[in-house]
Order: sequence, then C-alpha cells, then structure tokens
Amino acid sequence: MKISAFSALMMLVILMAGLFFGSPFAALLHSFAGSDSLSSLLNKQVLVVVGTSLITALLATALAAVVGTVLGYHFTYRKKAGGRWLKTFFSLPLVLPPSAAGYMLLLAFGRYGLIGGPLYQAFSLQLMFTTTALVMAQFFVITPLMMQAASSAFQQVPDSLVKASHSLGADEYTTFVKVLLPFSRPVLVAGVITAFARAIGEFGATMMVAGRLKTIPIMIYSKAMGGDAGVADGLSLLLVLLSFLVLMLVNLLGERRR
Amino acid sequence: MTLILDKISLVIDRQPILEQISFQLSVGQSLVVLGNSGAGKSKLLEVVAGLRRNQGGKLSYAGQDLGPLSPQERKIGFVFQDYALFPNMTAEANILFGLQARRALLAEQKKWLKAVAVELKIEHLLKRFPAELSGGQQQRVALARCMVLRPEVLLLDEPLSALDAASRERLALLIKKIQKKYNVTMLYVTHDHNEARYMGDQVLVLDQGKVVQMGPPEEIFLRPVSRFVAHFTATRNILPGRIIEHRAGGKALVEVAGTQLISTSFPVPGGDVWVCLRPEYLNLFEVLDGALDNRISGYQIVQIIAQSGVTVLLELMQQGQRLLVFASNREIEQKKLRVGVEVELNVAAKQVHCLPRQAEDIYCRPES
Repeated sequence: MKISAFSALMMLVILMAGLFFGSPFAALLHSFAGSDSLSSLLNKQVLVVVGTSLITALLATALAAVVGTVLGYHFTYRKKAGGRWLKTFFSLPLVLPPSAAGYMLLLAFGRYGLIGGPLYQAFSLQLMFTTTALVMAQFFVITPLMMQAASSAFQQVPDSLVKASHSLGADEYTTFVKVLLPFSRPVLVAGVITAFARAIGEFGATMMVAGRLKTIPIMIYSKAMGGDAGVADGLSLLLVLLSFLVLMLVNLLGERRR
Repeated sequence: MTLILDKISLVIDRQPILEQISFQLSVGQSLVVLGNSGAGKSKLLEVVAGLRRNQGGKLSYAGQDLGPLSPQERKIGFVFQDYALFPNMTAEANILFGLQARRALLAEQKKWLKAVAVELKIEHLLKRFPAELSGGQQQRVALARCMVLRPEVLLLDEPLSALDAASRERLALLIKKIQKKYNVTMLYVTHDHNEARYMGDQVLVLDQGKVVQMGPPEEIFLRPVSRFVAHFTATRNILPGRIIEHRAGGKALVEVAGTQLISTSFPVPGGDVWVCLRPEYLNLFEVLDGALDNRISGYQIVQIIAQSGVTVLLELMQQGQRLLVFASNREIEQKKLRVGVEVELNVAAKQVHCLPRQAEDIYCRPES
C-alpha cells in the first residue's frame, strides 16, 4: 500500500504530538511506581488538603452553577444595549492570567482592599487567606466557564418552544424552570462537571489568596519544590484520573444528547 | 368581538418587516395569510400573539387595545410549524401546560383534557412523549394544547407544512371542523396556494411585509390584482396580450397566444395586458357556457407531467407559445391524449383575466 506524502506528514505530526503529550504522563506513572506515594497520601495533612479542595471546589461550583446559568440566560434571552460589552466583561477571567485574578481579588477583598477594608473595619471580617477566599478565587475563575456553557445550552433550545410556552400563558419563570432547564439539562450538567474540574485544579488565583491554606494543586507545587515526590506524584495522579473521568463524562453527555 | 389590525408596522434590526398591515376579522371568520418565506407572515402572527412588539399601528380585540397586554393576557392560541411540543413532557403534560400555567383547578383540567382529547382523537396518545408520535399526531396534540385553553383567536403558522400528504389532508379537515365548531377567529399562515384556497373565508397575500391583495379566495385566485399574485396563486399561464376592442355587455376582445379571446374580466381600459389563464379552467374539447366560449386551436401536447393521483399537467405548444393545462387521468385515457396529439381548448370568458402590464412586475419570475 502506497502512503501519500500528506498522510506521512500527518502521521509524523501526530506521532510527535503523542510523544510530547504522552511523556509527562509516562514520567508521572514512572515516578509514581518508584515511590511510596500511596502510603504518603494517607497522612492527615494530605487528607485535610484533599478535603479542603473538594469542599471549596464543590461550593464554588454550586455558586457558579447558579450565577453562570443566570448570566447565560440573561445574555441569551434578555439582550439589551451594551449586552456584548457586559458579556465580554464577565468572560474576562477566562483569559486573565490566574495570578492577576488572584492579585485583583486581594486588592478588592484584602484587609486593606476596596471592599475588604471597610468590611474589616466594620465587622472585623477577614475574607482573604481563609477558606472563603479559596471559594471566591475558584468561583471567580469558573463562573465564566459556566456562563458560556449555559449560553450555549440555551441557544440550542428551539425558539418556538419558548414562544409556545409564553403563548400558553406561562410567565418567564415558569418557562425557565419547566421548558428551558429540562431541555438544556445535559449541556448544563456537562458545564457543571467541567467547572468543578477546573475549580479543583485551580492554582494561580487560589495561590494568591490562600495564605497558609493549601489545596491539591498548591500542595503539588510545594511538595514538588520541596523535593517530596511521593505526595506530589500521588496528588498529580489523582488529578489526572479525576480530569480523565470528567472529560469522559462530558463526552458521554454530549453523545447522549446527539 | 372583532380582531382589528390598524396599520401595524414591525421593524427588526432597522429592516422593515411589516408595513401598514390593516384588516378586520369578526368572530368565527378565518383569514389565510399567503406569502413567500421572508414575507413577514410568521412575524405578523407573533405580533398578534404578543410575542413581538409592533412599532407602529394599533391592535385590538373586542374593543380592547391588545398593545399593553402580554401574550399570557391575550385569549389567543398559537400552533407552530414545528409543533413546538415540550420534548420532556408527555402529550398529556403538554396539553395541561397552559391550564397549569393559568392555575386552573384540577377538576377543570381533567374535564377539558378529556373533552379535547376525544375531539381530536388523541386519547390513546396521552401518555406518549412527542418523540414517540408521528408528525400528524404531534400536530394534533399541539392543536389540543391550544384548544384546551378555549382561545377566541387561533393562530396557525404553516401547521401542515411538515406533514406528509395524507396527514396534511386529515389535519386540514380537522382544523376546519374545530374552527367552525368553536366559532373561533382564525389566522392561518401558509405559503401553499392550495391550502390558501380552501382554509379561509378570506385570503391576504403578503409580499415583503406589505399587503398586496386581500379578499375572498375566489377573488384572489380568479382576479389577481398583479402578476405577483397571479404567479403566487399558481396561475400557470400568464401571457402577454392586448385588448383590441371593447364590446357591449362588459366584454373585451383580447389578442393573446396567437388567437383572440373574449374576456369579461379586465380591470384596465385597454392596451397591453397580462392575460391570466388558470390551467384548471382550460377545458379540453368540451364546450361550456355557449356564446361566451373561447376556442383555442392548434396546440400540440409536448409533455405529460403527472401531478397527483387523479390530475395530470399537460404542456402544450404552438409556434413557440406555451400553455399548461390540467386534465384528469380519465380524460387522458378516454381521449387518447399522447405527446404529439393536437388538441382544441375552450375557456369561459369570465376565466380570461387581464392585468395591467406594468414595470413593477419585472421582479416576478417568469413561469418555468
């Protein structure tokens, strides 16, 4: 069988990409196999970090699911003048460097921040460097993701369904709850799962506001820098497996929808 | 209880979609809105339903200004081309959706569901989801969902266009029956001239957001006011002609297609005209209406095109002049009509309709 030059070139590119993308995973597995990762994962400090990560990511995802869905609905169905500007504004965290996002959160909600300052003075309330700050940082980063998922979900709802609902006497709320949400559920669920994966893996913004607190990505960083490969390997593999699972779930939902 | 549209205008993205649409419909009357896609038909229904706000004009029903009322507050039902059934609900839940949105009592919901299900013969479909129903069944459920709310005005947006021929026929009869039984005012949108001819008391021809002609179906189909309307209502023979003589009794002698015909339908004083000859009124051989008959000779069959089960379209030619004529399969058999056979035609003077020949007709596609 003769292979064309184009096919050969394609195969070469795919092979190179495979090597490049595969090598970190292979290296992680190799390092994991050669260390005592499993036992080092079971110490209290690591379990607390995993727990903190799970809880903050779940909270941030729950908040983002509500706010992102509302924003997605608003920008799909209630287009007003300036809507495009506002949507771009809410999408900014998607492309903003996470460290900048974290720094901006510090400026806004830190003890001497724009909002954090008065809050601290009035109620001695400190938001930054607490678990709340972790949730806020993750929420800040994942809400635009959820908004985009919700927008795309609502755009797939046939216009006639919404019109039918209104013409049958349903108000905006009933139409949202009984028509739009059920129709968009698979895409919204996929959006929530992706947002959760992004939240649990969030590093830059979280790092800036975490103080002494640690999440899984922060711990991977500190352990890797401190030479404790066992914990770094174990936690990295945990995140890889979680990400793989999430992507499989999202793909499955997409296929079911088709 | 009259639905009045007074100079309704609609602009979307700075494009005029509807311009100065005016008409009145009394209780139980039905109006078919006929037009090409993009003519503004569906948008007109959406304005009436309150799903879009018109920028100009006034819309009222039974003396009440509908402008400030939301769709929920109007007693108007809407049936969509794509049925628009909620896919996550059973047929029953779809039908009850409007009653529940209006917080109707449970007993009332059951009573009306039963009545409408019997009326539309869908009792056996109530537990099924839309995906488990055929197109015709879905549209019957959609109609039931509308009628269960007992609307005073029913809007139908091309309700038959997604159906096969058999379902289309059945549903058309059902819609007419329901409309008459409940004496509901109906606005029916279609691009199909066949539906337009039989579904309404009145037909309104819409072109690029403007009313081109409005009147009873026979007037629209037999006396079109422009070449656009004639073309759109399937007047397959629109031929250039000339009024050469006026005669007593409201008749005119028209020169057309290499022959001279008597016409009693010529809303122009004279000169160059378009002569409209509908293929269903060109009779093969038979002589009708005695003295008013017009004979057209010398045409030869060049093509026989099957139409539906009983009708055949014949393409006739004579010295480069083309005529299209409908014939029945029986006629084809009995009169041994084959390609190459020369036929004689006959048309009543009232079916020879003349139109002024104007520059504005240029955009019309010639009959192909």
